[in-house]
Amino acid sequence: MRSFLSPGRVALLLFFLAAALLPFFVDPRGHLLRVAAMVLLFAAMAQSWNVVGGLANQISLGHAGFFGLGAYTSTLLFLKLGISPWFGLFAGALVAGSAAALLSIPTFRLKGHYFALATLAFAEVMRVIANSWASLTGGPVGLSIPFMGSQPAYFAFRAVSSYYWIILALLVLVCLVFHLLATGAIGYRLRAVRENENAAEVAGIDTFRVKLTASVISAALTAVCGTVFAQFTFYFDPDSIFALASISVRMAMIAIVGGLGTLAGPILGALFLIPLEEVANALLSSKAAGLSQFAFGVILIAAILIQPRGLMAYWPKKRHPAGSRGA
Amino acid sequence: MFQALVDGILLGGVYGVIATGLSLVFGVLGVVNFAHAEFLMLGMYVAWFAWRWLGLDPMLGSVLSFIVVFAVGYLVQRTLIERVLKAPPAAQVFLTVGLLIVIENAALMAFGSEFRSVSVPYQVEGYRLGDIFIGAPYLYAFIAAIILAAVLWLYLERSWTGRAIRAVAQDPMASTLVGVDTRRTYALAFGLGVALTAFGGAVILPYITVSPTVGGQFVVLMFTVVVLGGLGSVAGALAGGIVVGVVQSMSTLVFPIQLQNLCLFVIFIAVLALRPQGLIKGA
Repeated sequence: MRSFLSPGRVALLLFFLAAALLPFFVDPRGHLLRVAAMVLLFAAMAQSWNVVGGLANQISLGHAGFFGLGAYTSTLLFLKLGISPWFGLFAGALVAGSAAALLSIPTFRLKGHYFALATLAFAEVMRVIANSWASLTGGPVGLSIPFMGSQPAYFAFRAVSSYYWIILALLVLVCLVFHLLATGAIGYRLRAVRENENAAEVAGIDTFRVKLTASVISAALTAVCGTVFAQFTFYFDPDSIFALASISVRMAMIAIVGGLGTLAGPILGALFLIPLEEVANALLSSKAAGLSQFAFGVILIAAILIQPRGLMAYWPKKRHPAGSRGA
Repeated sequence: MFQALVDGILLGGVYGVIATGLSLVFGVLGVVNFAHAEFLMLGMYVAWFAWRWLGLDPMLGSVLSFIVVFAVGYLVQRTLIERVLKAPPAAQVFLTVGLLIVIENAALMAFGSEFRSVSVPYQVEGYRLGDIFIGAPYLYAFIAAIILAAVLWLYLERSWTGRAIRAVAQDPMASTLVGVDTRRTYALAFGLGVALTAFGGAVILPYITVSPTVGGQFVVLMFTVVVLGGLGSVAGALAGGIVVGVVQSMSTLVFPIQLQNLCLFVIFIAVLALRPQGLIKGA
């Protein structure tokens, strides 16, 4: 019943257009473009998380596990076997998807706190394995991707803008997947499961399968983000890539601050939070170690206490695209 | 083998007390406190400063840790946790995760990132029982933990406020009707919960160094213990603690020490998968 060009969609399309043109207006090698790329990457990560966290309302605190699996898979394939990260990207998605499927078996019945706990433990264990299995992962030192100049076939570019556009394409892809899931049959099933799992089961929904599908897709997308992150930053180590606060929680927080389960929420959240953190870092990191993280925690607490429904709560209600929480 | 069993029991008793605090908070407030391990870290710092400045042995400093962290917990409950008690789990999860990040980084700013340890005369001493060697710091920490557990049991069982806490855990509405101040009782329970954990942190100071990130080492462990014993069950947490201590100590016979957390995770997931009903009821 909605027209194709609802105000929400127009705003979203305009955003993508503006984002695509940004590199022409700022210094293509500059810091600003790197920050903008990070905003888009975190928006994509938060959107991937949103598939499970928003649609099914399963609060995962372990998506860093999938993110790191993506980064490690593609980077190790490249470093040890010389396989292009473009293939590693798919391999990473496959590995993370399988991990999510395995993790679903013991955790699918869990809700709320218990699910959060189990996923948190999963990412922690990934971190421990990456740290201690040094012969494969390089251990606590981490992995570096050698600088190769411009080699598009090996996901290596000289200009920041190339990475930027790839990240933007990834964000568009993830948003599209989210939109299709949210408005498709599986989205309705997921929302049914979220509202009342027993009722959904009685109505003939295979709740296990629905949740499994959502978590596998979410994990695979997150792993793709992990591969792109590794290529973009050239370096990562177990403690930073499997981090609870700076990856798992941040992904969830961006989606929550923006608006849980909404299409535009993760983008709004990332546009708001990442620059804020960047400014906080620039202002505070010279003052004392930990101060910017401290500020991050304070923002998180404040966001929860002030508006638990996120920034999207300020968008007029009836304009919500289908698939949003209130619709 | 037998040595590992004894080591495990000694460790496990302390884990039990540490996890009891977390279990108590969940049992009474229905909130899973992800920041709980950070209060362990705070307790360790209080005991460290008590040792450094006042010359107090950590076994005595632990009482100070208990009191200080109780006050902190009471305030945190009244100012923050109280507001999300009726909120959906997501809000509770992220509030306590935010608290975790804030406390850890506040400690980093206040105390710096270096590892601090105490030196006490009994650190390398021990007792020999046949073939078994019992390290003195482990033994003393175990005894302190058992004493505290007994005091806690007496308090919950006999005292008026202890009974109020149990009443509120069962039915907050009915307890209000019979004259229990539930807000105060919640704050009391939260303060008590984090103080128990802080006490456990203080008594292990002779064999574990403290740093702002020490909490991270205990997160998976603490939750494994609690899940094993049934979330919300205080006695279960003690028993769970001993089981986890023994498993951890036995696993070092087979696996390298870094993989201890992996063993815990396997137990954790197995319990979740095989006994979810035990979890969800809490008991």
